[in-house]
Amino acid sequence: MDPMTFILITQLVHGLAYGMLLFLVAAGLSLIFGMMDILNLSHAYFFMLAAYIGYTIAGMTNFWVALLLAPLVVVALGMVIERFMLRKIHPFGHIPELVLTIGIGLIIMEFCKAVWGTQSLMLQTPEILSGLLNIGVFRYPLYRAFIIFFAVAMMILMGILFYKTRFGTIVRAATADADMVNALGINVPLVYTVFFGFGTWLAGLAGVVVAPFLSVFPGLADQVGFDAFVVVVMGGLGSMSGAFVGAILIGLLNSFGIQFLPTAAPLLTFGLMALVLSIKPTGLFGVRQ
Amino acid sequence: MIAKKSAPSWKQWVFPCLVGVILLAYPWVLGTVYTNIFIYFAIFSVFAASLNMLVSYLGVLSFGHALFYGGGAYATALFLDHIEGLGLFTVILIGGAAGAALGLIVSPLLNRVKATAFALLTLALGQLAYMACLKLRFITYGEDGVGGFPIPDLTLPGIASINMMTAENFYYLAVVVLSLCLLLMWFLTKTPFGSIMIGIRDNPDRVDFLGFNLPMTKAIVFVISGFFAGIAGAVYALFQNLVTPDGAFHIMTSFTPIMMLFVGGIGTFAGPIVGSGVMTIIEELATRYTTQIALFNGILLVLVVMYFRTGFVGLYLLIREKLFQKESS
Amino acid sequence: MAEKKLFFNLCLTLSLMAALVLLPHGGFAQEVNSSFNPSEMSDMSDFDPNNFQQPEGDTIKLGYMQIMSGAAASNGELFWPIVTWAAHDINKRGGILVDGKKKKIEIVTGDTQGKPEAAKKETERLCLEEKVDVLWGTSGSHLAKVIADVAKKYKVPFMNCLALSDELMDEKNFNRYTFRTLSNTTQWNMAMAYYFSKRPETRFSILCQDYMYGHSMAGAFKKHLKKLKPEVEFVSEDYHQLWLKDFAPYLTKIMATNPEVLYTADWLPDGDNLAKQVRNMGLELPIANIYITLRETLKALGVDGTENLINGYCFMSGDTPQTEAQAKLMKAWHEQWKTWKAPYDSDTYAWPEVVLGSTLNDTYWLFDVIKRAGSTDPEKIIEVWEGDVFQSIQGIRTMRADDHQAVYDMYISDYTYPTKEVYPGALYSEGFAGPGEIITVPQKYCTPPVPEGLKGRAE
Repeated sequence: MDPMTFILITQLVHGLAYGMLLFLVAAGLSLIFGMMDILNLSHAYFFMLAAYIGYTIAGMTNFWVALLLAPLVVVALGMVIERFMLRKIHPFGHIPELVLTIGIGLIIMEFCKAVWGTQSLMLQTPEILSGLLNIGVFRYPLYRAFIIFFAVAMMILMGILFYKTRFGTIVRAATADADMVNALGINVPLVYTVFFGFGTWLAGLAGVVVAPFLSVFPGLADQVGFDAFVVVVMGGLGSMSGAFVGAILIGLLNSFGIQFLPTAAPLLTFGLMALVLSIKPTGLFGVRQ
Repeated sequence: MIAKKSAPSWKQWVFPCLVGVILLAYPWVLGTVYTNIFIYFAIFSVFAASLNMLVSYLGVLSFGHALFYGGGAYATALFLDHIEGLGLFTVILIGGAAGAALGLIVSPLLNRVKATAFALLTLALGQLAYMACLKLRFITYGEDGVGGFPIPDLTLPGIASINMMTAENFYYLAVVVLSLCLLLMWFLTKTPFGSIMIGIRDNPDRVDFLGFNLPMTKAIVFVISGFFAGIAGAVYALFQNLVTPDGAFHIMTSFTPIMMLFVGGIGTFAGPIVGSGVMTIIEELATRYTTQIALFNGILLVLVVMYFRTGFVGLYLLIREKLFQKESS
Repeated sequence: MAEKKLFFNLCLTLSLMAALVLLPHGGFAQEVNSSFNPSEMSDMSDFDPNNFQQPEGDTIKLGYMQIMSGAAASNGELFWPIVTWAAHDINKRGGILVDGKKKKIEIVTGDTQGKPEAAKKETERLCLEEKVDVLWGTSGSHLAKVIADVAKKYKVPFMNCLALSDELMDEKNFNRYTFRTLSNTTQWNMAMAYYFSKRPETRFSILCQDYMYGHSMAGAFKKHLKKLKPEVEFVSEDYHQLWLKDFAPYLTKIMATNPEVLYTADWLPDGDNLAKQVRNMGLELPIANIYITLRETLKALGVDGTENLINGYCFMSGDTPQTEAQAKLMKAWHEQWKTWKAPYDSDTYAWPEVVLGSTLNDTYWLFDVIKRAGSTDPEKIIEVWEGDVFQSIQGIRTMRADDHQAVYDMYISDYTYPTKEVYPGALYSEGFAGPGEIITVPQKYCTPPVPEGLKGRAE
């Protein structure tokens, strides 16, 4: 094969792998905003907390147990925060919510430092996922392929949950008109709490998945959080397809940017975000501000 | 509450005089370390107050206010680094002008968005500035920043030339410049233009119908807010004699005044000043006894948002009201 | 592969030996003013970094300037056992005789928070309120610059043992009170270039962090290697964003240019992530690096990930202590380490090696200077330290009087596995490679001239 084609295809797959990882983080953020109108700035910190918890559980048992359990811990925390904090201040508008979630983020970071220390931790890639995948002439790291596969599986799961279950119907209805759904006798606040938990669960999954890929350290939330923000803002807050397109776009922009425009690569993401926001403030797929 | 006209005139002068005496004596009583902490507090009071203009009058929260502050700081530092013989007030005004110019440049973009999108767009612009500052090494000297530039003396023609390198002298300069900024911002709220701004927050459509040019008015607010943030940045640059991307444009530089605003009390004039004071004291105490500054900041933010959304100023008003009621009953 | 490597190592050793023989003997009989004496070392069996015993009363105060809070607080944690170890040792010896009185070492912490304004504020507090006698620090060249400025203003000696930017000690930024014990960017890269000029590889890829430090490191390496080995080819040169998440796009780009060595000056967490992702992509090439050395990281990288890491520093032992002093220190430290509680029980602290070792070495040097000055008077300390020649735990260190830059031999090693026991019953590393044979790059091959404007300053 022509070497340039080879590079292009490899960069494409790299972009997909990183994009899908971002999608896992961004999806929860976007969903929560879409339904509950909350921009959760602590979302990335839930992600980081899950990575830390995953590291500990994987050390005691194995990666798969960690993938199952660690997200559940952050879900519980997320639901408590939604029920006892965010719900109370929701009537006061956006700004207090933004500030509150910054505060929660800071507390989570200090908690992680107190429990796991300040040094970088690194989780070993699970045995079964280490090594390279051989497809013809292509050799690709198995773990990166797993990230793509896992995120796609999660997307399918979300699709089923939203479009094929009663919970999904309620959620979609509540997103459109919460008062009406409430009037129909459905406990909307409870749905909100569960839904917030679901959003943090996605962040938690991403956190565990990222642990064998990136060092887990107290700055992890900021490191990945910014990109996740760019993704949802570009794609359109509240839109699932927007989050998907945004994630893939950022992933591809990253890998092709590095290949062809290396000096501008770091400016590209934020530049594009500013551009999209100024042309279409709701993002590419968003409908509401 | 409106001050009663009947109050004896000397009473009105007691408080400002007391503040004046305290400010004058401060560096001689508390020494260099606390003098510098006070300067830092004063800089952030103005920076937070400039952010407060956007929050209180336009009802939008900027997550990238460091853009103006850092822009002012870098402008001052670079001018001093490259051009000899600039006066002290000239370079401070250059910082303010840079902030104002940046405000003007971004206003067409910012005019298009509101609420969360505004916060996010400003975040993106702030980050863009941070990245660009690291990237444009031939101008900004990268992460090492612009430092060691000459600090001009304060020359009063024919009277004296005062060296600004000592903490005490710089303290008086900073206090005068920054108090002036706060006073100007305060007077602004009393002008007809101030009423229009408040009108924009409460009901933008109505302001539009009344025939005021809404985008133009908003642009003016961005320019003014950028100007004062730029002045704060300029004083910061002179104070530190070093401007770095982390100090000027980092995301925490944008978040700090937000926290101050909330802790002090949003929507009040004293809020940013009180908030800056409280946060400075907390940081000072926290660094001395623990390494978990962020934890204290986080807990403070959560408590303020959950239990007293009106901040410390609101708390003070509440207490005063309680006491006042007791007196009258 | 192993044979090939052995052969080249052999060639390298032989050529270095030849260099040693060819040099005039007079150049080596360096007279030292003082030396680290291992037999004076205290019994450290009661040392615990979590519970450092601060002395009471009249003390010599050392200001420990580091990032203690925020996301980069690992820096502050990392060197705490170092300063407390040296202080504990000196205190158990009864302290240092200064100004006619035996005083013990007290450590006062200053938190730079990783921010220049906090660094300034804290340095001022330490100088004016705590009245520290010396300052110790710090990670981050921009922070070291702030500390040096304040140190100059209040006339407090500052030992910079962690920031390596050349500019810190150039004509513009030099000040009498700051001494740099760490090698600067040029020294480090000259050593690396010298080492690679003896190796067969000619195709190099550069991947550094996209900011001043990364660019100046890469620039110095390119310049010095090209000088020693004109046939060298830099097949790719990239600079990535700080705290990069995904290195794969860079690696694909680099692989396409078919390099033989990857050069990186990344610090953590970028260095860790880079090494990990390089190996995950199936790339086996040597990685020349400065900061991929923390043992917790190496452990996670495993044997395959750590073999062929090439590290250079001014202090390195691997599994073979290079001097008697180092052997004694390593044993005392490692035995004591087994008793430490979190966070110091982690593998990172197992041996006083590389960054940890060099800062410990420098701290002992600082205390020795104070002892010989017989005073905490900054002028007396400057007088002793300028031009000082010290037989340290590893190597002879000379503090150049003109620019206050320490110069010495540098050490470089290609990591190998398995490692040996450092002393009976104490294996250097398990499940990951460590420094193999230590190559000494003699001082004359890694010493840049004094900056033009500072020449003859001290006379």
